[in-house]
Amino acid sequence: MKRIVALAGRPNTGKTTLFNALTGLRHRAANFAGCTVEKATGTMRASGGEVEVVDLPGTFSMVPQTEDEQVSFRFLSECAESSDDLLVLCVAEASNLDNDLVLPAGLKAAGYPVALAVNMIDEARLNGIKLDAAELSGRLGMPVALVSARTGEGVDRLDGLLTPPPLRADLSDALDFRRATKKRLHELQDEALEKARTAAAASVTWPHRSVLPVTARAIRIDRVLLHPVAGPVILTATMFAVFQALFVGAAPIMDLLSTMLGSFSDLLRARLPEGALASLICDGAIPGFSAVAVFVPQIAILFTMIGFLEQSGYLPRAGAMVDRALRPFGLDGRVFIPFLSGFACAIPGVMAARTIHSEKRRIVTILLTPLMTCSARIPVYTLLITAFVPETFRPLGLNGQGVVMAGMYVFGIVMALLLALAMKFTSLHELHPAPATVLPPYRIPSAREMSRYVWARCWHFLARAGQVIFILSLVLWALAAFPRDAAVMAPLEAELAAVRAASPADPALEKSVKGRIAAATIEGSVLGRAGRLIEPVFAPLGWDWRVSIASLSALAAREVFVGTLGTIYALGGESDASDGLVAALRAARNADGTLRYGLPTAVSLLIFFAIALQCMSTIVTVRRETGSWKIPALQFSFLFGLAYLLSFAGYRLALAFLV
Amino acid sequence: MTLEALPFDVPVKVLGYAALSVFDKDRLSGLGLRPGVSVVKILKTPLQDPVECLVGSQLLAIEARLLPHIRVEAL
Repeated sequence: MKRIVALAGRPNTGKTTLFNALTGLRHRAANFAGCTVEKATGTMRASGGEVEVVDLPGTFSMVPQTEDEQVSFRFLSECAESSDDLLVLCVAEASNLDNDLVLPAGLKAAGYPVALAVNMIDEARLNGIKLDAAELSGRLGMPVALVSARTGEGVDRLDGLLTPPPLRADLSDALDFRRATKKRLHELQDEALEKARTAAAASVTWPHRSVLPVTARAIRIDRVLLHPVAGPVILTATMFAVFQALFVGAAPIMDLLSTMLGSFSDLLRARLPEGALASLICDGAIPGFSAVAVFVPQIAILFTMIGFLEQSGYLPRAGAMVDRALRPFGLDGRVFIPFLSGFACAIPGVMAARTIHSEKRRIVTILLTPLMTCSARIPVYTLLITAFVPETFRPLGLNGQGVVMAGMYVFGIVMALLLALAMKFTSLHELHPAPATVLPPYRIPSAREMSRYVWARCWHFLARAGQVIFILSLVLWALAAFPRDAAVMAPLEAELAAVRAASPADPALEKSVKGRIAAATIEGSVLGRAGRLIEPVFAPLGWDWRVSIASLSALAAREVFVGTLGTIYALGGESDASDGLVAALRAARNADGTLRYGLPTAVSLLIFFAIALQCMSTIVTVRRETGSWKIPALQFSFLFGLAYLLSFAGYRLALAFLV
Repeated sequence: MTLEALPFDVPVKVLGYAALSVFDKDRLSGLGLRPGVSVVKILKTPLQDPVECLVGSQLLAIEARLLPHIRVEAL
């Protein structure tokens, strides 16, 4: 028999902060059965033994309306049915007790064992509010503790609430929310409202002011931050700072990590005997680890920024500002941060969708975020634009290559909005978006809480998505490395041995031979053969087998496209060989002497890479965030199909009008 | 009088809702906007929608389309 403490309450009552304070870092994330709503569970040591703490999704009233609210009530009913020892610990905001007492009063009336943690007691003191915990406890008929989860004040007192054995009351009469009628729930809500009102009136002494000081301060700040002119300017500057932090702050750390791991790989390669083991370690395992590790700085920086904006109270206001503009597309302000993060990398963008409480809206956001132009697309776009958009192209006197690059960003946004519009006609459309949003008071984020928040997000990525990304990297390496055709490789290896033995040494020639070996390896590999096999599939898009192989290998990460093409064109396989690759692509000719690639192929590739979900790490992250393979499979196949169709159309139009 | 017609910074009391869907009514009630509660219209967000209101002791951003359906009276 488990001992379960379920944390319940309205969003913004500090429920998650209290959860973190109770469980420390001993928590894990999963999904509630049958849906994508996340369940955070952790353990805490109480004097009665180990207790499992579950952070339930936010609940506004006794009448569940959204999927998240239904999940919370369903969980309580399932616990009541099991033999587990249950206590519902309701979390209420001390300065908003009129509202927040409704849930504990209602759950108590529904027959559940309830205790109450009145949180943010420090803020209530600042507001001049006085609370009589004993009176409140007597009125509600449940134990009450006054706490501040942020500062830790009173949290130790919760131990006394959670430990009296047994926690569990007789739950045989507890209301089964899964079967309760709306009428019964409304009755419960009305009873709870009345009970909450009288309990709050008897136990709370309000200051003799019309507006609480913390609220008055929030209104003063809002008059600046939500000002018709200053508001959008501040929002733009804030988002610019977030975006810059992601690129400028994360890029050096990512580069350093890549360089260190690359150097480590080179060091090992020099010491290990040439062969499959060296290749496995240096071309498979280390790049696989690198593919996971390089995302951590971005995730840490993004969630530091999001955590700061969320805890300071600015995030819901930023959402409110853009809400109106997104509503015609069936979206709202909550998608803003995930979309913005998606410009750096889809992975933190997908993870940022956790701030969205509604399940359907979260899925739509996760589906569309990868359409934002992430940094991994930049090397691909740069290569194709530099190679095939003529320098003489100067629309309105502007640099044409720059215009096309900017156009790719706009293209991604437009596609996301159009697909969002299309989703309004599917079951993913949220019929009843929240008609109002709580704007919490402005608060100074706590460093302790922020570090826990960021650590939890990074650990979540490393532990859950990282393992799969690493394994898939090894699989892709094996597909690109085997089988090795001895008949083809033997003369090349003999040539390499001869070059190495020659005196004086010729590093350029050695590099060239190594490049040819790499090209021969990939050509003969499963991936290479697959590329040839699927060539007819992609031929209508203007791709040959080389581009097909590069696109297949880009499943590991989009930028791998450049490196693979470099390998095929015997440039040594380095992604920084793009200058040589530009020339190689421009000069490449078919057997009949005609140019192998041109602007139409570039158009087709640009469209394909803008839309297709060519990123294994994102696919794995989506799977982890949604709790099943269904959503990523749907997302991959739909975006692939759409990318194929539009690339085909783009190729044909370019052939007709641009050649 | 409705919340839409109310000038800014004037405290009033919520009387009830008119022609609102059950979902919106329940959600507003769950957020604390229910009959008897004091409400003040604070400001319009830059795109004029939603509108920030002080409801009881908390600030809410309420969709502008709902304001004509919320009946209020002077305190």
